[in-house]
Amino acid sequence: MDKLANRLRHDADEIEVTVSDELDRRIAASLRNVTPREEAVSAPESRRPALFWWASSLTGIAAAAAVIVVINSQQPAEVATPTPVELIATVPVIDWKAESAMLTGQLQQELDNLQSDIKKAEQKVKEDIGL
Amino acid sequence: MSAFTDLVGAYRDRLLRFLLTRCASYADAEDALQDTLINAYRYIHSYDPRWRFSTWLYRIAIRNAAKLHTPDTLELGELRAEESDPLLQCIADSESRNLWINARHLLNDEVFQAMWLRYAEDMSVNDIAKALDRSASWTKVNLMRGRRKLDAELNGAEKRSEAYG
Repeated sequence: MDKLANRLRHDADEIEVTVSDELDRRIAASLRNVTPREEAVSAPESRRPALFWWASSLTGIAAAAAVIVVINSQQPAEVATPTPVELIATVPVIDWKAESAMLTGQLQQELDNLQSDIKKAEQKVKEDIGL
Repeated sequence: MSAFTDLVGAYRDRLLRFLLTRCASYADAEDALQDTLINAYRYIHSYDPRWRFSTWLYRIAIRNAAKLHTPDTLELGELRAEESDPLLQCIADSESRNLWINARHLLNDEVFQAMWLRYAEDMSVNDIAKALDRSASWTKVNLMRGRRKLDAELNGAEKRSEAYG
C-alpha cells in the first residue's frame, strides 16, 4: 500500500466521531414515526374474463381484414397523363450565344450542321409524340 | 424497525464522520445523518441488492448533505475560523496537520467525496461511481487527480519540514 493511501486512512481514523445517545434517541423516535413505502403499486388485476380478451382480439383482426378488403376493392385512381403541350413546355430551349462574326468558316459550317441536326431531332420528337 | 436499526448500526458512526466533512456544522451533520437514516428506512423497498448496502446509504447521505449545502453556508473549500470547524474539533491532537483538512481546501466537493469513499471507506471504484452517480472512468480519472494534488501537498509539507529542520 502506498504512502498517501496509508496517510489518508490514518488521518481518517484520527477523526473521532460517535453518535451521541441523544442523537440515537432522536433517530429512533423519528424512525418510529416513519412507515416504509411499499414498492411501486402494481396494476390492479383485471376482473374481465379471458373470453373478453379473445373477443376483443378477434374483433380487431376482423376490422383490420375489412379495411384491407375495402382498400383493395377500390378502383385505382386514374393516372394523370401529361399532355403533349406540357411535354413541350418541359423541353429545354437551347440558347446559342455564338458570335458568328468571330467564327471561322469551318466552325460556322459545323454550327449550321448542328443546328440542322437539332431541328431534325426536334421534328422527330414532335412526330413521335403526335404533334 | 429493530432489524433496520441493527443493520444501520454498523454504519452510523462512519456516516456521521463522512457527513462531518461535508457539512458546515456538527448540528448539520447530525441532521443529515438523521435524514439519511429516515430516507433509507422509508425507501428500503427501493434498495437494489445488486448494490452494497453501504453504497446505497452513502448515496443518500451525499444527497442529504448537498441539500444542507445552501448558498449562505460556507463552501467546503473556503476558509473558516478553525475553532468553528466541526471537523477540526473531532481530530485528535497530532504532530502533523490532518491531510483531510488540506484535502477540503485543495479538492472540489466531488473529488473530495470520491477520495474519502476510496481511502477512508475502502470502497471500490465502481461503488464510488454508483454513490456519486458518475461513471467509473470519471471516478478513476478524478481519483488520480485528487491523488496527484494530495501527493504534491504531502511531499511539499515534508520538504518544508526538512528545510526548517
